[in-house]
Amino acid sequence: MDFPQIGILLAAAALYVLFLPARWRPTFLMVGSVVGLFWLQPTLPVRWLDYTLPALTLVIVALCWRLTLAPDARVTRADWLALALTAGIAALLLLPRYIELPPALEITSRPPPAEITIPLVAGLSIAGMLLARLASGTRRGLLAGVFVLAGLFVLLKFSPLTTTLAGLARSTTGQDAALASPVDLGWLGFSYIAFRLIHTLRDRQTGILPALGFRDYLSYVIFTPALVAGPIDRAENHGAAVAGLAEARLRDPARITTALGRIAVGLFKKFVIADTLAIFSLGPLTASQADGAGATWVLLYAYAFRLFFDFSGYTDIAIGIGLLFGVQLPENFDRPYLKQNLTIFWQSWHKSLSDWGRFYIYSPLSRALLKRKPKPGNYVIIFSATAATFIVIGLWHGITLPFLLWGAWHALGLFAHKLWTDRTRAWYRGLSDGRRRAWHVVGTLLTFHFVALGWVWFALPDIGQGLRVFAALFGIGGGA
Amino acid sequence: MSAMPGWKWLTDGGYTWGFLARVLGKALALFVLLNLAFVLADPVPALGRVSLYNGLLAGRERLPYGEDPAAYNLSLFDLNAMFASHTLAGPRPDARRVIVLGDSSVWGVLLENRDTLPACLTEQLPGTRFYNVGYPTMSALKDLLLLEAALAYQPDAIMWLVTLESLPRERQLDAPIVANNPARVRPLIERFGLGFDPLDPRFVETDFIGRTLIGQRRALADWLRLQAYGVAWTHTGIDQVYGEYTPRSNDFDEDATWQGLNPDATLNDDILALDVLRAGASLTGQARVPLLLVNEPIFIADGQNSDVRYNFWYPRWSYDQYRALLGDAAAAEGWPYADLWDAVAPAEFTDSPVHLTPAGSRALCEAVVPFVAAIQEEADAGS
Amino acid sequence: MQEAEVRAKLRAFITKELIRNASYPLDDAEGVCSSGLIDSFALAEIGVFAEQEFGVYIPDPDLTVAKMDTLNLMVARILRDNR
Repeated sequence: MDFPQIGILLAAAALYVLFLPARWRPTFLMVGSVVGLFWLQPTLPVRWLDYTLPALTLVIVALCWRLTLAPDARVTRADWLALALTAGIAALLLLPRYIELPPALEITSRPPPAEITIPLVAGLSIAGMLLARLASGTRRGLLAGVFVLAGLFVLLKFSPLTTTLAGLARSTTGQDAALASPVDLGWLGFSYIAFRLIHTLRDRQTGILPALGFRDYLSYVIFTPALVAGPIDRAENHGAAVAGLAEARLRDPARITTALGRIAVGLFKKFVIADTLAIFSLGPLTASQADGAGATWVLLYAYAFRLFFDFSGYTDIAIGIGLLFGVQLPENFDRPYLKQNLTIFWQSWHKSLSDWGRFYIYSPLSRALLKRKPKPGNYVIIFSATAATFIVIGLWHGITLPFLLWGAWHALGLFAHKLWTDRTRAWYRGLSDGRRRAWHVVGTLLTFHFVALGWVWFALPDIGQGLRVFAALFGIGGGA
Repeated sequence: MSAMPGWKWLTDGGYTWGFLARVLGKALALFVLLNLAFVLADPVPALGRVSLYNGLLAGRERLPYGEDPAAYNLSLFDLNAMFASHTLAGPRPDARRVIVLGDSSVWGVLLENRDTLPACLTEQLPGTRFYNVGYPTMSALKDLLLLEAALAYQPDAIMWLVTLESLPRERQLDAPIVANNPARVRPLIERFGLGFDPLDPRFVETDFIGRTLIGQRRALADWLRLQAYGVAWTHTGIDQVYGEYTPRSNDFDEDATWQGLNPDATLNDDILALDVLRAGASLTGQARVPLLLVNEPIFIADGQNSDVRYNFWYPRWSYDQYRALLGDAAAAEGWPYADLWDAVAPAEFTDSPVHLTPAGSRALCEAVVPFVAAIQEEADAGS
Repeated sequence: MQEAEVRAKLRAFITKELIRNASYPLDDAEGVCSSGLIDSFALAEIGVFAEQEFGVYIPDPDLTVAKMDTLNLMVARILRDNR
């Protein structure tokens, strides 16, 4: 989100708080989020795709909703209304193709023709809904949903496949397939959307997903403030917030002051600190230009803090805006660079993602392995579960070798920390307060530098360059 | 609303409407006051003197200029900030200090810092440090503006490279750095009776709003970006992106006009701003700093219609007249003068009639050395 | 299933298998995770223990420090679905 977009969201929040009757709030959240989905989607080089992808998001969300419907629940009138409303908005957003709208209302730039889109989307939705109805709530259906989402994820995040798919999309619209690139399929927010959907599918399977109507399920998955960069909220949290909206006191000075304060902090972090650090932070170009170890460390430190201020500032803004609308999103950062070990770091950096990893990979995998006969050794289980979790978290950012290495870097770090604590727990608990404080400082510095060195993989798309940066950081060999 | 872990300072306020209104009211009042204070104090020039360069960061070898963030460089109009970022503002070396003024060929478009004329001269003349105060726009008035600012650093001599393209009177104010510094340019016009209108509409006037914090936000952001780019400059030594370029043309249409003038025209003080050169000479004279004027090398074509034109900029008639005029003026005023118009071989020009290759830059450097040595001897004899 | 029985079995499991100090005087309201006595892997072990010993499946999102920090919280969670 850029400055004007944040301004528009604030203006929308002001109107929402001041004038909207309280009982319409949940509906407004859904309608606003559907419009926001199309509005925030950047224009793409492939014709019609910046309309098609958000529309596809809506279809996918509808199918997942049908799949996760509790066995005893039925599709109610309210659900049909919400579905119709969503379809109506999507259809309305085809209008700019036919009539000239003032630029402010042109949420979709060049939508596809209605005579193709409407039958296609309707057909897809109906077929999908029938299928989802058959599979609804069954273990197989839910698993299939997870696999389809994961497959889509791979298609979109693994650049050879993405390029092929983009080539297909280009030939469908009669554009030059030779120009296809992963940028063509810049599906806004998909990574977050997919992980939210997987959470609902899996929680339905274990029976803890709260009953959500389509309206609230949709506004959970595509909630505008959290669409672009998270956090990954949990459905029960969103559901509870929306359920309380009609009675919630949004015209509350404490809430508004806190929200505005949070947004102000976020704006400062993102647009002043992070964007200034961005000028000289580590990247493929700066890494190749830096002369010497000192210079490379400066770039790396700048990158580490830029990433934190950018991402956490963004989260502050999202949480602040969410608060104005009456939905408190989860915290995503808790002073991560001041943590004394890597385990606590991961409980305070992009928390909503690492929680997701713990709930849907680490914990189930550990438990499955613990139940195996014969039971593997605990360290084997811990290592496998940690590695699997962090490789997925790494690849979530993009299916590339450097992200894989970054995930593996943290998995190894966490495993090493586990081995260390198991051997030192008793000794550490016996330390005097002063000694413990000293170890705390040492641990914090070590943890920060371990994380910062890990960012080398994160910042550079090329392994060879990453290795050269490592060499440069420790004064080995020439430039990177 | 439930708790926000880690945000106690923000959430523990027990806020009321009165509180929110007071915060917003005070913020508004502070904002208005700050803007008024900004107008009264005009802190940007003073802020410009505050710089991370030459301390935390390495000084720049040439003035900040450029639009490409990949060059870790930017164009700004705050002369204080520009000079504060330059090595000229750094510690004084134990050497004679000579400032080199001029256009983009001195600044060094397409040249690394080590290949520029000032760098070469520093190397050729031990005991003398040459500072690159060239700036890429064609305007002698711009050079005068920079000269005045540079004199504050008490140089031992000034070298000023000019060419015809930087002298058309009409175009002196087109340089954005001139147009955006009326407070410095107008006193120069008045002091030396220069032939420009102090109320020329090209001067960018700052109205009341323009002097507030809001109006000055661009200047503040430029200052901040200049400091931030300095980190990258210090650690990479990059201040320019060297891309592919289109070589200067060697063939021309049969067009002999120059600045809308036909070959039968006579160039004179109305057309050429020679008074700016006189002002520069008088400024340096008052400061008792020797000045060497150099007519910089130009590309001399041999292609189609090269009998009419030397190059893309200059029809032969206009440039020949200019050379004669400049030579006469130097002789009449007694300026040390080096006419090096053909000192560099045509092959050593890059994308414009005055931009040089590293080899061209070296050729110019070698050609200019005797003249520099001569004025230094004169200065030593005089002091 | 009796609360006392669940509590006793769970306490024995935590002190013997997780803290590895059978004589540790574990308090009912003591934060075992937040104090660093056990870690997130131990929570997975508690999940398996609950499933195998009491036949109660605790979904993974409920195996968090916030929801399982003390013996009291764990016992309550295990008994929740049994009432």
